[in-house]
Amino acid sequence: MNRPRLAIAGLTACSGCQLTLLNCEEELAEVAARFDLVSFPMAESVEGGAPFDAAIVEGAVSTPGDLANLFRLRNSSRLLVALGTCAIFGGVAAMNNGVSTREELVAAVYGDGEKTVESFAPAPLTNFVSVDFSITGCPPEKQEVMALLCALLNGTLPPLATYPVCTECRSRENLCLLLERKELCLGPIIQGGCNARCPATGIVCEGCRGPVREANVAQELELLLERGFGRKEIERRMSRFKPEWDYGQRR
Amino acid sequence: MAKTTLKNIHLSHFLELLRLFGELHGPVLSDQGVFSFAPLASASDLQLNYSRTQIPPKKYLLPFREEILHYQKGAYRQAVPYGSETVLFGVHPCDLDAMAYLDRVFLAEAADSCYATRRANLTLVGLSCRPDDFCFCSGPRESAACDLFLQAGEDGFSLTARSAKGEAITAAAADLLVETEKEIEPPACGSCNVLPQDPQLRFSAHPLWVKFAEACVSCGACSVCCPTCYCFDLREYPSLSGGAERVREWDNCLFVTHGEVAGGNFRATRLERLRYRFLHKYCGFTPLTGITSCVGCGRCKEFCPVGIDLRELFQDLPLDCGRTP
Repeated sequence: MNRPRLAIAGLTACSGCQLTLLNCEEELAEVAARFDLVSFPMAESVEGGAPFDAAIVEGAVSTPGDLANLFRLRNSSRLLVALGTCAIFGGVAAMNNGVSTREELVAAVYGDGEKTVESFAPAPLTNFVSVDFSITGCPPEKQEVMALLCALLNGTLPPLATYPVCTECRSRENLCLLLERKELCLGPIIQGGCNARCPATGIVCEGCRGPVREANVAQELELLLERGFGRKEIERRMSRFKPEWDYGQRR
Repeated sequence: MAKTTLKNIHLSHFLELLRLFGELHGPVLSDQGVFSFAPLASASDLQLNYSRTQIPPKKYLLPFREEILHYQKGAYRQAVPYGSETVLFGVHPCDLDAMAYLDRVFLAEAADSCYATRRANLTLVGLSCRPDDFCFCSGPRESAACDLFLQAGEDGFSLTARSAKGEAITAAAADLLVETEKEIEPPACGSCNVLPQDPQLRFSAHPLWVKFAEACVSCGACSVCCPTCYCFDLREYPSLSGGAERVREWDNCLFVTHGEVAGGNFRATRLERLRYRFLHKYCGFTPLTGITSCVGCGRCKEFCPVGIDLRELFQDLPLDCGRTP
């Protein structure tokens, strides 16, 4: 069997998504045997080594270096996979895109140092290149990362869950935090597949996996306003993992 | 007169006796404060006066997610569910009727083997209830769709065996049962209180259709919590070492993916999906055309975050159901 050639790379992000793969400890030996991990800088294999069968890319694009890296990976790989919320939506790094200017943010972080990092507003991969597949999550779920690798090995892409967080949350017989506790839970509009990790422990869904495919954003907004939350507070919460929402969207 | 009355003081003994027939499960209150069917560690955990569980007992027959086929080295084999005898105690008549409906779907010709295995291992002990504001039914009733039914009275329960298993239980419990002068009056064995609707009604011009379609957040709660919703999705996942598993998981007809096929979607809009849900729930499809699958448990009404109640779309409410639109 051919060993698919993989590149695993990170742009502007915390490396948590790549770490999720490294945390699949039980499967790592098998992964190393079945795949040719040509380039995985975080795990210290060489950079370069094109062409690839798949490039799995974590992080948002926010520097000229990110952009060059992304173009290089896109041009040298048959498939490009966005790994995690930052790569798909911009993520946490992008939460202030619509609030502050780049200059203000750079000044706040780096102060009056002589050198500043050249950067721009963090943006998802799709703003610059075509993306063949996405695995959402901050970080993604291990089993979804493994499902991707198993599918790649078989020359296909995995059918991941497409329902919202509520579906798994109800199936786990959790107390509904939105209905029963009237908390600011984003479950109905957020992509499931996490097995309702947070609500199962009594913490509201903060939306780390981004919108479900047909998110009824307008209705969720109405529900939260009815429960007494302010528009600003709701928008602030919703933009934590994805900076821009269409608040009038019903489908 | 037969000895068919179980006094309240003997209930805990009776529950211990039921353990002889399988692992005892019943309605409990979870740490989060949610009613659910779960193993009864102790009789004191039993919530005799529960309203309804969030997830209906269908989970014992059709789990949220299960492997149904395994592929390895060029051959498929069917998954065999882990089979242990389970006694489910305290199931309300609506949930019993719901399981009878699921039996019609899954045990009809070409029975579903995973379902059939689980069903054969399940003993159902029904319990009468008092409808609350969410229930769609008109009042207390009994259901014959069980092995044994307990009608609650003031100081005990009147037992009615409905199957050979149920008779075996009452025989084993003979020492605990007494004869009472005045038997607890069993209410009529009514059927579902939501009557079948005309399929054409789904195309009615009722303004609520559009309102509901706009409000539905497609969260899936209505079908996840519905005791008769059985639509499922099938997905296949290969493994690293070769081979693959086929997984069955609950689906919801209000999800955009439900009617999606290569090249298109049978029900691309939420409005079309609501009409479809109405059709399946209240009118039935072949071969269950004309058979409503709503048993009146009230879960969809209680658990919908936006308060959608499809029954509001009935233009002509049946007179005998004792409720107002």
